[in-house]
Amino acid sequence: MKVKRAINQVAAVAKTDFLGVVRNKAAIFFTLLFPLFFIVIVGFTFGNTGTGGSSRIIVGVVNLDGELIAVNATKSSNSTIGDQFVQAMEAANFTVWGYDEYGDRDTNGTAAYAISRGHIHAIVVIPANFTETLAFQYVDSMGAPIPTKAHLELYVDPTDPTGSQITQQSILGFTSGFVKYYQQVAIEQAPPNMKEYIKVLADPIIVTTGEIKGTEELPWINYMVPGTLGLVLIWSGLNHASMTITTERTKGTFQRMVIAPVSPMVVLLGKLISALVIVYMSALIMLLSGVLIFQVNLYWNIPVMILAIFLGALSAIGIGLIISSITKNEEAANSIAIIVSVPLQFFIGAFFPLSIMPEAAQVFGNALPFTKMVDAMQDIMTRNLPFDAVIPEILYLTVSGLILFTIGVIVYRIALKRI
Amino acid sequence: MNGIEVDSVTKRFEDVVAVDNLSMSVEKGELFGLLGPNGAGKSTLTKMISGVINPTSGTIKVGNYSVQDESTKVKEILGVVPQDIVLYDYLNAKENLAFYGRLYGLSGRKLSDRIKELLEFTQLDEKAVKRHVSTYSGGMKRRVNIAAALLHEPQVILLDEPTAGLDPQNKHALWEIIQSLKKEGKTIVLTTHIMEEAEELCSRVAIMDHGKIIALGSPSQLVKKVKMENTITVVPDKTSTSLLEKIKGMAGVKNVYTAPDETENREILKVITDSPDDILPELVSTIVNQGTKVLSVELSRVTLEDVFITLTGRSLRE
Repeated sequence: MKVKRAINQVAAVAKTDFLGVVRNKAAIFFTLLFPLFFIVIVGFTFGNTGTGGSSRIIVGVVNLDGELIAVNATKSSNSTIGDQFVQAMEAANFTVWGYDEYGDRDTNGTAAYAISRGHIHAIVVIPANFTETLAFQYVDSMGAPIPTKAHLELYVDPTDPTGSQITQQSILGFTSGFVKYYQQVAIEQAPPNMKEYIKVLADPIIVTTGEIKGTEELPWINYMVPGTLGLVLIWSGLNHASMTITTERTKGTFQRMVIAPVSPMVVLLGKLISALVIVYMSALIMLLSGVLIFQVNLYWNIPVMILAIFLGALSAIGIGLIISSITKNEEAANSIAIIVSVPLQFFIGAFFPLSIMPEAAQVFGNALPFTKMVDAMQDIMTRNLPFDAVIPEILYLTVSGLILFTIGVIVYRIALKRI
Repeated sequence: MNGIEVDSVTKRFEDVVAVDNLSMSVEKGELFGLLGPNGAGKSTLTKMISGVINPTSGTIKVGNYSVQDESTKVKEILGVVPQDIVLYDYLNAKENLAFYGRLYGLSGRKLSDRIKELLEFTQLDEKAVKRHVSTYSGGMKRRVNIAAALLHEPQVILLDEPTAGLDPQNKHALWEIIQSLKKEGKTIVLTTHIMEEAEELCSRVAIMDHGKIIALGSPSQLVKKVKMENTITVVPDKTSTSLLEKIKGMAGVKNVYTAPDETENREILKVITDSPDDILPELVSTIVNQGTKVLSVELSRVTLEDVFITLTGRSLRE
């Protein structure tokens, strides 16, 4: 009987809270439609532009320069310049992860596997004859160097069009700089009779960009739509939750609920259910808009999506609950929610890849549960990865969701004492 | 079942004593008035009775249940009508009542029957019932606000300034509602600073100031405590000694004298009495029977406002 009564009370609170949003035009806009409005504006404004220059791009390097190859009919395995190239990349602030082989997207430990999961932003394959070519070891029968070019292969993440453009430009820029440095050193060290000849070799290194096998290159919006689910959490979850208790307290309806024989946790549960319904509705609007308006072709793993959104929403609602409980009135709650949510949305990787941001911003962004939600959604929906690929993100979302929601509940209970 | 028992209750907010060692009791079925200016401690006391805040010391019982120890049982039998309109303005009257009814554990047929009864009580027409509360007049909102507190048929009702901001017509309509609740046997505590309201409705009144009850009794008892007199001022077209003698001989008249009417250059009659309402008709007929025309009559009554000013030196609205 008590359980039935509590369920009835939870349903009443949830329904009333939900109607408060859907019957309020301003609330509908800010809670449900603003993320969509925002993405359209930002998308048209920044969608195809990059900010250039990245200091912390993670590059997977497959350095084949040390392999045995035939040079002038003899075996050679010199890797000096390939190693220098890698060291120079690290000196230029690229994060370099070494791989033995390019591999494929299903073989763990290979470069292709890493880039398909978004662990690295690009792959650079250094050919086996890199040193031999640049050291002019290819000679003709007369002993004269044969003009041979070193072919670097560059692969960028096709599922991240904005980030991949920036990554590609950064690596090409670095390579260009390396070439100039190499020419300078080579000319200095070359015998006098070779100096003029080396000057003639304008571009000793050719970089070719390749397609990641098994991964289709996608338009920008395919990357953005899953990312906007992070915005949904912030705008529909955090913002709504930050207003709900404060609004009720300001209007006096919260006090009237406290006077009734209703447990504060029943009220909270009703609010949570309402907030979750609003988050899922907003997410549905975003995804349907992506499919119907922007013709986005995504991969759908509905159970994982529901789970990830739920866990992310726990964090968002937890933060909202904290704001709602510590603020005295609607204006204060609204101001704090805006101060928190507006900057936050730029750190979750929804619009711009975190790799283009300063290191401190990346650390901050990567600590946010919303970023993990965006990562998980992009892995599932854009990269078509299985559930096990997003387990780390799901675990992170679970822990952060439980912690933030628990803190929210504690602060809410404390706030009840000052009604 | 008793009404309300407040025993030696004190409430402190840091250095401020909002309620100071206050004791009082409200009998079952009584309509009890709680008067006092802003800051007197009325709201703090009613919040403690309804269990929203706990007293610093002392005990409160509502219907034999301890507010501190048996709060759920107290909430089941207590209905609170807040001073402000505490309704969801985006819901209609029916939806608001359904929401509050479900909070009190009502559901199904019982809930729909209670809503139907209370919608009749609010006197809203069918169209109004379907409109959002935000479109209602002040009086309509007040009636729904009260109805929301009555859904679970509470035995004890706290009414906090229920007629604040209402026009006279709506105010009197609400008074009728409050009187009908009393007739149903409800125990009612009415918080107000409208003296006329307390005098009209309450069988007993407590006047609060600085967290204490400074006077307690029926309105007539409190009025008698003040050394002031009720005066009927009559403007006749002429006066005579025989007329004065006739009036002086009437039952209930303590004194009668003439005074100059400075604006009209004539005399007026001042009749001192304990019961002005009772003697007024006889007074007028006595004057008329003496061949004198009555040009105007004015009644100056001792009110609870006078009681409060006498006790505290301040007006209730200060």
